[in-house]
Amino acid sequence: MAKQNPPLIETVDLCKSYFNDGMETPVLFDIDLTIREGEFISIMGPSGSGKSTLMHILGFLDTPTSGSYLFRGQKTRVLHDDELARIRATRVSFVFQAFNLLPRTTVLDNVILPLLYHPTIPASERTERGMKAIEQVGLTERATYFTNQLSGGQQQRTAIARSLVTEPDVIFADEPTGNLDSASGIQVMEVLQNLHSKQGRTIVLVTHEKTTAEYAERVIHILDGRIATDTRDFKRNHAKNVKHLK
Amino acid sequence: MLLRDTIQTAHRAIVAHRMRSLLTMLGIIIGVGSVVLMVSVGRSFERYILDQVESFSNNLIELYPTGYEKFGRTLDSVTYGDYEAITGLTTVKSVAPVIFITEKVQYGTEELSPNIFGTTSNFFANYGLKLGEGRLLSEADEKAARSVTVLGYEAAEDLFGQRSPLGERVQIGSRSYTVVGVMQSVGSALMQDLDTFVFVPFTTARSATGQKELSYMTMQAVEDDELALADVTLLLRQRHGIDNPENDYDKDDFRARSAEQATKIVGQVTLGLTVFIALIAGVSLLVGGIGIMNIMLVSVAERTREIGLRKAVGARGHDILLQFLIEAVTLTLVGGSIGIIGGMTLGMILAAAASKYIGYVPFVLSFPALLAAVLMALGTGLLFGIVPAKKAASLSPMEAIRWDK
Repeated sequence: MAKQNPPLIETVDLCKSYFNDGMETPVLFDIDLTIREGEFISIMGPSGSGKSTLMHILGFLDTPTSGSYLFRGQKTRVLHDDELARIRATRVSFVFQAFNLLPRTTVLDNVILPLLYHPTIPASERTERGMKAIEQVGLTERATYFTNQLSGGQQQRTAIARSLVTEPDVIFADEPTGNLDSASGIQVMEVLQNLHSKQGRTIVLVTHEKTTAEYAERVIHILDGRIATDTRDFKRNHAKNVKHLK
Repeated sequence: MLLRDTIQTAHRAIVAHRMRSLLTMLGIIIGVGSVVLMVSVGRSFERYILDQVESFSNNLIELYPTGYEKFGRTLDSVTYGDYEAITGLTTVKSVAPVIFITEKVQYGTEELSPNIFGTTSNFFANYGLKLGEGRLLSEADEKAARSVTVLGYEAAEDLFGQRSPLGERVQIGSRSYTVVGVMQSVGSALMQDLDTFVFVPFTTARSATGQKELSYMTMQAVEDDELALADVTLLLRQRHGIDNPENDYDKDDFRARSAEQATKIVGQVTLGLTVFIALIAGVSLLVGGIGIMNIMLVSVAERTREIGLRKAVGARGHDILLQFLIEAVTLTLVGGSIGIIGGMTLGMILAAAASKYIGYVPFVLSFPALLAAVLMALGTGLLFGIVPAKKAASLSPMEAIRWDK
């Protein structure tokens, strides 16, 4: 079913290197990857494999060194900082390992934080949208709590609510269970899975835990900066498609 | 991001870090507070002096033989003829000649060495001196060169204590004088000397001392001080045969001055002092500004993750810049306001305290100084807020998020 949907993310020969004191450290090599709308994907790999870097690039937090990245068919390398910020505000969202919630701030205020930077959603709709997102992660009763009064699992669910509030095209989750005990981890993964299965949300999960990765329909292994395996082998077809387009 | 949201965000950050915000503001509070305090103390003191000078010197003009102040002796250049000629001018009125008597004043065992003025009743009007009891010197006293005297408030108290001196006789030099009047106290620290003076009729003093020339002369300008001064000066030069079109005072053998000139000098001196002290206080404002920059930089480093998060959820560099700038400006404006209120309060307390000792000191608020203080606070916030704000805005969202890893 996901196969028929149009591609949301397409990368061709995407490379990334870091430069320190003139020394080039390559991190990603020739990544060809297509993610269609509605997919739930895990990107797996040991630490240092480049999986987080790939997610940062796909999520417009970082830019590739070479190769191309098309988001909804649009080339992204020509975008300015403000345009990238606009995409982050409207199209993509993140769930981080360390939750990254604002301290001394309520659940609701944390959840509606992205709406402050949203270019089109009016201020009057913030609370309503925020409460709707909080409801989806089952924290309605805790909406007025300060985030430091919550358990780790509840904090991560707050972060998920925050990632839902702008109705983005794709949610990137970077080791979302990394700081949680297994019971809370399962709870958080179930919330993510429900968002995919019931609402058809596109989710890209980055993890090094096999059990977490298995919640996804499709698992991509990254090793030493290259895609090692892809449970749904799109690679060849995709390469052909790109050649046709050119 | 809406400006309202940015302001609210900045406000929350300030409230969330109360202690840090307070410490940051402290430098500004002290800086602005001391500028306001120094300026208001300076202005109040200036007003006080001017009030004092003006209270006794309504259009007052004094004419001295030159060198009087330099050599401490009576010079002979200003004569009774000069006095009579000046009385004829239409631009001055209430001319009073003065001859000093350098003698002791005795009553019983009490003895004083006051300034003794041989003068006319015009003198009292010129300095705004008021009669306490008895009467002033009269024209009849003057014509008959009577041996009568009017005592300053303090002189009377020193000689007679609580008793009434009226009708008593005091010894001045070899002559005996009847006390006919006692002056009110001038009630001002600046002019306290006037209370110790002793007055006798001009003609009496002339015959007692044998002095023909005048020690000095006082008068009031009818309307314009400058005009009266020019008239008097021209007349005296003419009478003394001094050719001085270039108005070089060193060539004259006399000097005419108006109290207004004195007030202007007082004004200039206190203004200079005020500016000088305010500048020193301004240095503390600068230090306060650097304090703000310092703490804002720490705040940016401390909140790297928050900044990264905001950028990750769509904040532009410009949004972050504005947030931190508003934070800095809010801190300085709030600190500045507290400083203004504090400085003013302290100024009022000082003025009230000083009033107890040296007579009424008005509290003067200088609105240009207040405006300048507010603008300085705002400027400090902008100037020293921009560096940390730019630093925050330029943080890469990814760097910021990975900060703890």
